[in-house]
Amino acid sequence: MTAIGQLYGVDLKTCTQNSSTALCKLLFGHFSGSLKRVSEPGKQAVIPLARRDIDEELLNEYSFSVDQLMELAGLSCATAVSKGYPLQSLLKSPPRVLVICGPGNNGEDGSVCARHLKLFGYEPFVLYPKHPYKLLFQKPTIQCEKMDISFLTEMPEVDVIDEEYNLVVDAIFGFSFKGSLREPFGDILSQLKKITVPIASIDIPLGWDVENGCPDGIQPDMLISLTAPEKAANHFTGRYHFLGGRFVAPALEKFQLNLPLYPDTDCVYQLN
Amino acid sequence: MNHSSNEKEPETIEPLRYLSKSEVATVETELLRDYRFGQQQLIEIWGHACAIAITKAFPLSSLSKKQPTLLVVCGPEQNGSIGLVCARHLRMFEYEPTIFYPKRSPQSLHQDFTVQCEKMDIPFLSYLPTEVQLLNDAYNLVIDAILGPETDHKEVKEPYAGMLVTLKQVKIPIVSVDVPSGWDVDEPAKDGINPEVLISLTAPKKCATGFSGKHFLAGRFLPYDIQKKYELNLPEFPGTECVIEL
Repeated sequence: MTAIGQLYGVDLKTCTQNSSTALCKLLFGHFSGSLKRVSEPGKQAVIPLARRDIDEELLNEYSFSVDQLMELAGLSCATAVSKGYPLQSLLKSPPRVLVICGPGNNGEDGSVCARHLKLFGYEPFVLYPKHPYKLLFQKPTIQCEKMDISFLTEMPEVDVIDEEYNLVVDAIFGFSFKGSLREPFGDILSQLKKITVPIASIDIPLGWDVENGCPDGIQPDMLISLTAPEKAANHFTGRYHFLGGRFVAPALEKFQLNLPLYPDTDCVYQLN
Repeated sequence: MNHSSNEKEPETIEPLRYLSKSEVATVETELLRDYRFGQQQLIEIWGHACAIAITKAFPLSSLSKKQPTLLVVCGPEQNGSIGLVCARHLRMFEYEPTIFYPKRSPQSLHQDFTVQCEKMDIPFLSYLPTEVQLLNDAYNLVIDAILGPETDHKEVKEPYAGMLVTLKQVKIPIVSVDVPSGWDVDEPAKDGINPEVLISLTAPKKCATGFSGKHFLAGRFLPYDIQKKYELNLPEFPGTECVIEL
C-alpha cells in the first residue's frame, strides 16, 4: 500500500488505523484499480469513480443525513451560479432563473439551490414537470414556497424562456438516471435544445448518458459536478465546470483520485 | 434592510433586533413547524456558518502555534451539536480541531454528528485538564459550544460548572457559539466567561447588546417573512457570504 501511495503522491500517514473506514478502502480500491498514473508532475488527472458508492458511504458509514448533504449540495450549486453569472452581469433586475426540478434527488438539490439563489438576490422560478402528490409535502418544496418562490405549473414556451429568464438551471436527472427519457422530459429536452439563454446543469445534463455524454443533446454553458465529476463530464464543452459538494476533509480527499483542494472556505471549485 | 424590489421608499436603517430567550424559541419552532426546516439541516447551516466566522476571526495564518489546533468544547444539547458540525467544517478548512464532548446526547440525531466527526479523524478528548497551562500551550483558541439559549443559565450542572471555571482562566481566546455559556440569554453576565469573539446565530440575543469583543452574525437562511414578522432588520450579507461582522 505504501508503494502505491508513493507512486501516486498520496500521504498514507494520514490514513490511520481508525480512518481506514469503508470509504477510504473503497476509494483506495478505485485508486489502485482503475486509475491513471499522474505521469507529469503537477498534472491533475480527474478520474471518474462510482459517485453512487461515495454517496452511500457518506450516508451509511459517515451517518450524514440526506438533509445535510442536500443543503451543502444546493448551496454549492447556487454559489457556482452566482460565480458564473454574477447579479450585476445579468440584464434583468432581479435576474430571473428558471429552475427545472426532476422527481428525484437531483430535483431536490435544485430546490435547495433555488432557495439559496433567492437569498443571494436572484428571482428563481421552480418547475416540477412531474409533480406527484408526495412531492408537495417534501420539505425542500415547502421551504421554497415559504420563501415566496413561485412555482410554475407548466414548461414555458421557448420564446417565453428566452424573453423572461436570464438562465435555466437543469436539476432534472443525476447520476442515477438510466434508460430513455419519458414524457414530459422528452418535450422539455427538445425545448431546452432551442433556447438561447444559458443552461447550468447539475451533475448530468438532461438527455446525456452518464458515461458517454450526448453529442446532439443539450450543450449547457455550466456544469456543476457534485462530490466528483461523472465520466460524462469529459464530454462537457461549456464555459464553466464547477465542482461542488464539499463533504470530506482534505486528508481523505487525497484519496479521491487527485481532486483539487477547495480554496479556503469556498464550497465550489472551478475546474476549467 | 428591505429586499423587496417593489418598495421604492427611501431606506431608513432600522436597528438590528436583539432577541429574548422566548423569542428565540418561538422563531425556531416556526422554522421547524411552519417552514418545515429539518433540525439536522438547521444545525448543519449553523455549524457551517460558525466555522466560516471563525476563519474570518482567526485566519490560519494568524495563529501563533506551529499547528492550527483548536479545542471545541461541546455541551449535551443543540449548542453542542452545532459545535460538532463547526469542528467538522473547520477540519475541512485545514484547522486541527480537538473535541471535548463529555456528555453525549442520547438523541440519534445528535449522535450522527459525532460519527461524522469521528470519521473525519477528529480526536475526542476523554477529559478536560484542569491545569489551565496545558490548554494554553496546546491550543490556539477554545470554541465554547457548551450551553446555548435553550439552557437555563441558573441550573448549570456538573461537569459544565467546573468546565466554565477552567475556561474562565484560560489565556487563549474563547469563541462562543450563539450565547456565551453560563450567560442569561437576556442579560450579559457579570462574572461569567468572557469570550473574545461571539458568533450569534440567525440573530443576536439580548445579552449581546454592548458586547465589547468581535461580534459576528452567522447563518443566512431565514425566510424574509420571518425577518419581517419579528422585525429583525438583519444587515445585508455581502455577495454570497453567510457571515457578517457586526
